[in-house]
Amino acid sequence: MFEARLVQSSILKKVLEAIKELLNEATFDCSDSGIQLQAMDNSHVSLVSLNLRSDGFDKYRCDRNLSMGINLASMSKIMKCAGNDDVLTMKAQDNADLVTFMFESQNQEKVMDYEMKLMNLDQEHLGIPETDYSCVIKLPSQEFARIVRDLSQFGESVVISCTKEGIKFSAGGDIGNANIKLAQTSNVDKDEDAVTIEMQEPVSLTFACRYLNSFAKATPLSPQVQLSMSADVPLVVEYKIGDIGHIRYYLAPKIEDEDN
Amino acid sequence: MGIHGLSKLIADEAPSAVVNNEIKNYFGRKVAIDASMSLYQFLIAVRSEGAQLTDADGEPTSHLMGTFYRTIRLVENGIKPVYVFDGKPPELKSGELAKRTEKREEAQKELAKATEAGDQEMIDKFNRRLVKVTKKHSDECKELLRLMGIPYVEAPCEAEAQCAALVKSGKVYAAATEDMDALTFGSNVLLRHMTFSEARKMPIQEFHLDRVLSGLELNLDEFIDLCILLGCDYCETIRGIGPKRAIDLIRKHHSIEAVLKNIDNEKYSTPEDWNYAGARRLFHEPEVANAEELELKWTEPDEEGLVKFLCGDKNFAEDRVRNGAKKLLKARGTTTQGRLDSFFKISTTPNAAKRKSEDSKTPNNKKSKTGNKSFRGKPK
Repeated sequence: MFEARLVQSSILKKVLEAIKELLNEATFDCSDSGIQLQAMDNSHVSLVSLNLRSDGFDKYRCDRNLSMGINLASMSKIMKCAGNDDVLTMKAQDNADLVTFMFESQNQEKVMDYEMKLMNLDQEHLGIPETDYSCVIKLPSQEFARIVRDLSQFGESVVISCTKEGIKFSAGGDIGNANIKLAQTSNVDKDEDAVTIEMQEPVSLTFACRYLNSFAKATPLSPQVQLSMSADVPLVVEYKIGDIGHIRYYLAPKIEDEDN
Repeated sequence: MGIHGLSKLIADEAPSAVVNNEIKNYFGRKVAIDASMSLYQFLIAVRSEGAQLTDADGEPTSHLMGTFYRTIRLVENGIKPVYVFDGKPPELKSGELAKRTEKREEAQKELAKATEAGDQEMIDKFNRRLVKVTKKHSDECKELLRLMGIPYVEAPCEAEAQCAALVKSGKVYAAATEDMDALTFGSNVLLRHMTFSEARKMPIQEFHLDRVLSGLELNLDEFIDLCILLGCDYCETIRGIGPKRAIDLIRKHHSIEAVLKNIDNEKYSTPEDWNYAGARRLFHEPEVANAEELELKWTEPDEEGLVKFLCGDKNFAEDRVRNGAKKLLKARGTTTQGRLDSFFKISTTPNAAKRKSEDSKTPNNKKSKTGNKSFRGKPK
């Protein structure tokens, strides 16, 4: 028996918005410790890793480990049926082929039950090694979304360079070039608006805008986003989800062609 | 013509070995293309109103048209193709080749009949059956590829075998051919429908040899014997043994020798002087050029050279050729997107077993059945 109750159902709504552009379907792995999801997009360029801890739920019970293969478009349709203030309870039997989403209004006068069929999915699980990144940058998530959106007008890829002075995003294409520099903020009123850089050595990597734009769909989940980079390894873009967990995106860099 | 009924057998017995993928997901991959197969495709398929495209002297140019535009399509999707041309056919293939010549002669007769009757549909049909890839076609294509900056390899013998050798050596990611025997030659990854027209919206079928073997519960030697039983280009088969029986027999007895000892000779007549051992040897040690020594280099296209070669006598439109050359050049300039699986290790694929039992009954295998049918026959 699996049961998870979340007073703020809007969190799951936002999570779904944050992953459904990259993934068509994914397996939610439920265990005693919480709900996890790890999946690559079809082209194997990016990876989504979602972690929702059991203690972040208002009620959580998972007797046996359960893998739920879910079509994300279908789940998104169901989540759209819920009001933002509704309380969500997810339920499934052991070895079930159905999962139930129950939404209750705050005053408990309306109860909605949605049952969704599960799928059997092939899974490709990636072992991600613990890495000490050369640069770890924190910046307001809206700022990041804005930068990525603006630069995608110039070219398909964006170069992210980090030095101790600050972080630079640049793109170039047919219409010209664009550079956006952010310096570390010295003092701010709110932590949320801060730009902080922890750097061991400078890094410069090239990434496809398309994927960064998809990552930025997680912006509503968190006021801050954290970028971690090291030379020649995938970028990590992390959004904290309240005090319940996080969503991490990994993106393989673009590389210079050795044959040309 | 590859291995008879193998793709259907794989779809039935090892569905997880086949993945359908979009062409754009192959960016950055180097792929060895069986040129004789694709030339044949082009000569058949690239037509206008049923007739082949021709130059001023009436010589066909369909193969050049196909090679030019479809290669550009591959390159634009970030794929690095290398074409592999057939050398001389192996001696064991003479039987198969004789059969093909016979069929061609038959088609010639039918064509004469149809022409007499004025049946346009039949004329088209038999015209297509008469298509043959000649040395001239290959030579023109090689010249075209050279101008496009695309490398090619001349195999000493069978192109599929050479493609497989390139895959095995790690020089390329996959062999792109419709012939399933690239798997029998040991190519770990086989792509079908790679050079199909974009308009057909056919997904690329990706076969993985290791998953085929684990799905069929065979090792490579047993798999080769299975392919010989199914029917390859190099020897006869045992009459009365179809795919289902072949896989059961190989699973039980593990080799053709043991199968022969255990089957009822009255019921199944083995062909006289059946040279399965020769075919097996050919699959094990095909005559190929050492892939390690082959240097594959993708270079800049020669725009002026292309215009000179394709326009003029060959009747290609100059602006389209120039446009194509620019596309090739542009695709070279961009950086290649990396893949996560080259950084992180893929660990497990659970659920595959669970799916297998279900999928073997679903429409999935139906699709590959039709795919198979449409690609029978590769006369040489």
